[in-house]
Order: sequence, then C-alpha cells, then structure tokens
Amino acid sequence: MIADVLILAEEATESSGIDLLIPTVPELVGGVLAFAVVFFVMWKFAWPQMQQLLDNRQKAIAGQIQEAEAIKAEAQSLLDDYRQQVAGAKSEANQIVEAARSQADTVKADLIAKAQTEAQGIVGKAREDASSEKARAMTEARQEVANLSIDLAEKVVGNSLDRAAQKSLVDNYLASLEGA
Amino acid sequence: MDPLILASEECDIAREVVCVPANVLDLFEFNSVPIFIGLGAVIIALVMYFALRKPKLVPGKFQASVESLISLVSDSIARDVIGPEGVKYVPYLLSLFFFIWVGNLMELVPGINFPFTSRMAIPLTLALLTWVIFVVEGIRKQGLHFFLDLIWPPGVPVALKPLVGLIEFVSTLIVRPFSLTVRLFANLVAGHVMLALLLGSAGFFLLGVLGGDISVLRGSIGAAWFVVGVAIFMFEVLVGFLQAYIFTLLSAVYIESSLHPQH
Repeated sequence: MIADVLILAEEATESSGIDLLIPTVPELVGGVLAFAVVFFVMWKFAWPQMQQLLDNRQKAIAGQIQEAEAIKAEAQSLLDDYRQQVAGAKSEANQIVEAARSQADTVKADLIAKAQTEAQGIVGKAREDASSEKARAMTEARQEVANLSIDLAEKVVGNSLDRAAQKSLVDNYLASLEGA
Repeated sequence: MDPLILASEECDIAREVVCVPANVLDLFEFNSVPIFIGLGAVIIALVMYFALRKPKLVPGKFQASVESLISLVSDSIARDVIGPEGVKYVPYLLSLFFFIWVGNLMELVPGINFPFTSRMAIPLTLALLTWVIFVVEGIRKQGLHFFLDLIWPPGVPVALKPLVGLIEFVSTLIVRPFSLTVRLFANLVAGHVMLALLLGSAGFFLLGVLGGDISVLRGSIGAAWFVVGVAIFMFEVLVGFLQAYIFTLLSAVYIESSLHPQH
C-alpha cells in the first residue's frame, strides 16, 4: 500500500516535480528577512543576555561559596573561643573548689586545736579547784583535830589548859606526822 | 482553501486505500508560506524575549529549558566543535538551530501543518550562508592557501593531484552546500508527505464511515492510517529536532575546517 503511495506520489511529482526544487522569490525574500530578524535577536539580545546571566550566576555562586567559607571560619573561631572559655571556667571551678576545701581544712584544724586548748584549760582549772578544795579541807580538818584534841585533853585533865600553847603543840605534832 | 482537502475531496474512498491528491505538489502550494516563515521568526523572538528578559540566577522551568537549548548550541556545538573561537559564531549557530527547529515543528502545529523548511528556499538560503561564512573565514584566516589546502590535502602524491583536486573541489565547494540543503529539505518533505497522506486519508475514511458512504470494515483502513500517522507524527517530533541539530552541527564543522587548516 505504501509502495502504491510512493508510486502515485512519484508519478504526480514527475509531472512538474521540478517546481518543488526551485525556490520561489517570496519565500527567498521572506526566509532571508526572517532569518535576519532571528539572527539580530540572537546577536543583540539572547546571546549577550545569556552570557551576562552566566557571568552573574558564576559570580553569585563564587560569592556564596566565599561567604559560606567566611561564616564557617567565624563559626570555627567562635567554637574555639567557647571551648577555651569552657576549659577556663572548668579550671577556675576546680581552683575554687580546691581553695574552699583547703580553707575548710584550715578552719577544721583551727577549731579542733581551739577545742583541745579549751578542754585542757577546763581540765587544768578543775584540777586546781580540786587541789585547793583538798588543801582547804585539810586545813579545816587539822583545825578541827587540834580543837577536838584540846577539848579531849581538858576533859581528861579537868582543867582548862593554855589553849594557844596546846594548839601549837598539837599543830607541831600534826606537822611532824605530815613530815614523816 | 486548504489544497490538501480540495485535492483529496476528489478521491474515491470506496475504491482507493489512500486519498492521494491529484498532484502531490498541491501539498506544497501554500501561498502563506512567507507568513509562516515570519511567524516562526516572531515565535523565536518572543520565546527569547520572555525567557531572557529578566533572567533569574535560579531559573524557572521556562527559562531553564531555553537556557539548556542555548547551552546545547553554545557548548556542545560551538565550543566543542570549533573551540574557543567558536563563541564568535554562537549567534549564527543559535539562529540556525532555532530557525530550523521552529520551521520543522510547524509541521506538527494544528492549523498550520506545514514545515517551512520543506520549501527549497529556506534550506538553500541557510546552506549558502554557511558556505559563504566557510569561504570568507577560510580566506580571512589562511589567504589563498585555504583553497590550495582544500583541494590538495597534505600528503597527496603529485601524480594524483589533478584527480584529488577535482574531487575535493567538487565535493567541498559545490556538493557540500547542496548536501546540507538536500538533507534538511528531503527529510522535511518526506515527513510532510507521509503525515499529510496518512492523517488526511485517516480523516476521509473515518468521515466516510460517519457519513454512511462506506462500510465500517472499509472505514477501519482509516483507523489503521490514523495509528500509523500518529506514530509518524511522534517520529517527526524527533526528526524536527535532530535535523535542526545536524544542520547546525555540520555548519559548525565546516566553519571549524576553514579556521583550522588540516596540517
């Protein structure tokens, strides 16, 4: 069927087919003018615009990459700063804790020493009080013994004795006992 | 008005299988071809204007499509084939590519259905333009050596010089522009004839069935033509682009050969 078409077409073309191959003047003129218009548009508008666009795009991309790099560098330096600050803060905190600890130790030692001194004072004073009490009690007892001895001797003798002489006699005796 | 319909109205759908016009040349007798050519130029100018009027750094779909087509010509053709000097010829190559492509696509536009590149005037004009650039640039760049190198490529034995010279002269300076012309012209003529006959016949057979002039069985011929016609239609989308690309590419190759001598 297609062969039929081709034969038919060929037959038809043969009659005056050469016309198909000869350009007509209106088409030549129209073609040249239209192509000139297209060329003018491409030459003066499309291609320069396209080149300008590609340049701008290149600049914009390069600019953005630079900007991104600058921002990245800034972020890195900020990060370094923060890290340094954090490290500084940590060591400072450690120092503070350490100082507080040593201060507390000093306070503790002071308090203990003070308490010990105080305790020793109290014990010493108690001892002093006890020995003075003891001495007083001894004196009183000695007095009492002397008086009782004299009273007893007077009752035996039935007469009053020279109280002062007797007392010194008893005291001497007691003193000799203490000395023995 | 439409010569295809006028011619085909005479066909006998009850007996023939294809509605061929009385004269296939009728398919090409469009008085409005210069208008289509002008329309093509206007379409290209408008597309370029709206795509690149205020070009955005981050392009939209339309701008990106036009940009990629321009890059196809400026990078894959001008820079890759001609080299750094090719930038100078980008406007010409862009014009060739878009003018031919839009011309080819007119075949597929409903209501026009006529590629103005299937008229001899257009491919011939463009091929001659390329030829003029080829010769002028060659002389400008290499002087008269251009012609000598052209007809006697380096390394040709003296005895063969007359024969090689004749062959090279004819093939390079005479046949080249015509091969460029005919490749585009013939492809588009063939595509146009096939589409016009297939879709035209499909229409007449199917209308014949609807009008009760022929049986449904006979009308199914029209359905078959329609299916084949749609396949050819899609094929022509590819051909339209490919022929524009090939014409532009070969023009770049010719310009390159005149800029850079072979030795």
